[in-house]
Amino acid sequence: MSLPQSLRTSVTPPELELIASQQLIEIIPLIAIEKTAFISGAFGPLQPPRKAQIPLWMAINLKLKKKCHIVAPEWLSVEFLQSRLDEEINEPGFSKLPFRYAEVSKLLLDVQVTFAPDDIQSTDKIRYLLKDLREARQAKSREGLDQINRGELSLSNLCSMEINEIRPFFVHAMGILTHLHRDASAEDQP
Amino acid sequence: MDNDYFSIDAILAENQKIQCKFKQRIPEMGHLGGGSERDILPLSKRQIPIWLAYIIVYSDWADFDIPQPFSNKVRNALRAEPRSVRLSNLVGAGAGWYVLGKTIMDMLGDEQGVEMSEMLITTFKGRLVDVIDQAQHFAVLGSVGGGGGVDSAPQMFREGLDTTERELFVLAQESARRMKKWYEEGSGGAKRVL
Repeated sequence: MSLPQSLRTSVTPPELELIASQQLIEIIPLIAIEKTAFISGAFGPLQPPRKAQIPLWMAINLKLKKKCHIVAPEWLSVEFLQSRLDEEINEPGFSKLPFRYAEVSKLLLDVQVTFAPDDIQSTDKIRYLLKDLREARQAKSREGLDQINRGELSLSNLCSMEINEIRPFFVHAMGILTHLHRDASAEDQP
Repeated sequence: MDNDYFSIDAILAENQKIQCKFKQRIPEMGHLGGGSERDILPLSKRQIPIWLAYIIVYSDWADFDIPQPFSNKVRNALRAEPRSVRLSNLVGAGAGWYVLGKTIMDMLGDEQGVEMSEMLITTFKGRLVDVIDQAQHFAVLGSVGGGGGVDSAPQMFREGLDTTERELFVLAQESARRMKKWYEEGSGGAKRVL
């Protein structure tokens, strides 16, 4: 394969960001656009002031041109994230978060910071909460390393970025364990 | 051993020598051990590379001892604290401790093989968490850090890593570095459509 070694083992974060950008998000358009066909589907028509659902990439694009207001998804709020953080700290498993929360939150928060700080409240607090969440989950996945064996490893409720981060060495480590294992019954001597 | 035929690690591991005690007399092969005798006499010991020893042991012409990197002394040290043993010192340059262990394990009988396998696996799992921790820590420091003189215990652990552990270290470090870079870069170039 002509890919460099480091890219063969997993997807890169920018690629995951791109995939996450295809999720639909609600906006309040400021201009009218009729139903337009894109490669991934037809969206619109956008009729202000009615809300519409468009892909995230399009929403960010319009936002940069100041042609819409983005309605924050309900999980991107201080209360929701705080309650999840408490759950994360107090309970052993991983709490349930939207699968691509890391990518979507980064995209939305960055657009807020650069351009229109009006759609999402208290972006700083949200950033801190997200960071704490990420670190708490990382600590838990490190504990999950202890249970690794050559068969399967089940860590439920992990999100796309986190899976991508641990995939290379988890899979490699499991491969090594398979190598080192010796069945008591299997015998390769006559 | 068949599925490792093309594996570089396995080839390097098989180059290691192990002590074999011959059971029969083998004419004209005295040069194998580097000695000056013409024949190999029964009950004489020679150091034979594993790739050769495999066939010799298979055909029951000799027995071999478990080599020094897996001796009882090493086993006890590992049982006490797997992270304090420097695996890279135990085996010569090129071969890895784990790969050598696997190669030897394939030659052992059932009981010893399972015991060896358990030792290898326990050691690996014991050291794994530290390997990953250090890798993620190092992703943060980047190439500028390097531990410094204060950090000698983690540094010694890093130097004592086996080749297989080093591969894991690099993998973890790479993915951690990518994540960090992604989190810190701004809203990205693709968004500038103004």
